[in-house]
Amino acid sequence: MRTETLDRSRGGMWPWLGQRVTAVIIIVTIMVHLVLTHFVAIGQLSYANIGERLATTAVLVNDVLLLVAVTFHALNGVRMVVLDWGLSGKGMRRGFDAFLWVVGILGVTYGIWALWVWVS
Amino acid sequence: MSAQERETANVGAGLWKGIGMWAWILFRISGLVLAAYLFVHVWVISQGRVGGADRLNSFFGFFDKPFLVFLDSVLVAAVLYHALNGVRIILMDFGIGIQRHKAMFWICMLVAIAVLWAFAYKAIPFIF
Repeated sequence: MRTETLDRSRGGMWPWLGQRVTAVIIIVTIMVHLVLTHFVAIGQLSYANIGERLATTAVLVNDVLLLVAVTFHALNGVRMVVLDWGLSGKGMRRGFDAFLWVVGILGVTYGIWALWVWVS
Repeated sequence: MSAQERETANVGAGLWKGIGMWAWILFRISGLVLAAYLFVHVWVISQGRVGGADRLNSFFGFFDKPFLVFLDSVLVAAVLYHALNGVRIILMDFGIGIQRHKAMFWICMLVAIAVLWAFAYKAIPFIF
């Protein structure tokens, strides 16, 4: 049972742990994100309103943490779906992992770069 | 095999039929939808830097339609389903609720529905 879920061809132990750690981070940060946008500022969504929200450092930290955690979680989730469909060979798996790391790092960098227009 | 062992041995098989199977399928579908939305969301918000305040505000103006607010609530539902079913999976990793995974599923869904109701209560004036 243990080898079945943690075997490398099934994703490996570190991504498995990472998926659960990011899940817990996301549940907390996404609730803050959703309560602020869908409760506190509902109906007032605008460029200026985003600026007001991100002026609070805690909100900015929350959103950046959410972006990093959710990007890892989403791409590792896609990776698990692809591994279940079957990715032949170690080389293919490593290549696909490298591709997802590049997508994730570029995505997070782009997201933070985009948010910084409200910070600077 | 004792009665206790027989019950445990059957748990894995039980996950691949009935509620457990549908929970898993919906978990995957909601996960893929949310993963796709993540990139669309980052791209839309980045228009504030790429095209400035006017361009981002014109996007928000476009989204200000009853049907799109409804879709936004569907997205909240997808987040809540994925989150609460995920909580159930993590609890089961710790050995909590394996014997009663069906009951655990419905308890998690009740929590998801309760939170969704709170969000829907706020969104409904923008939909109707």
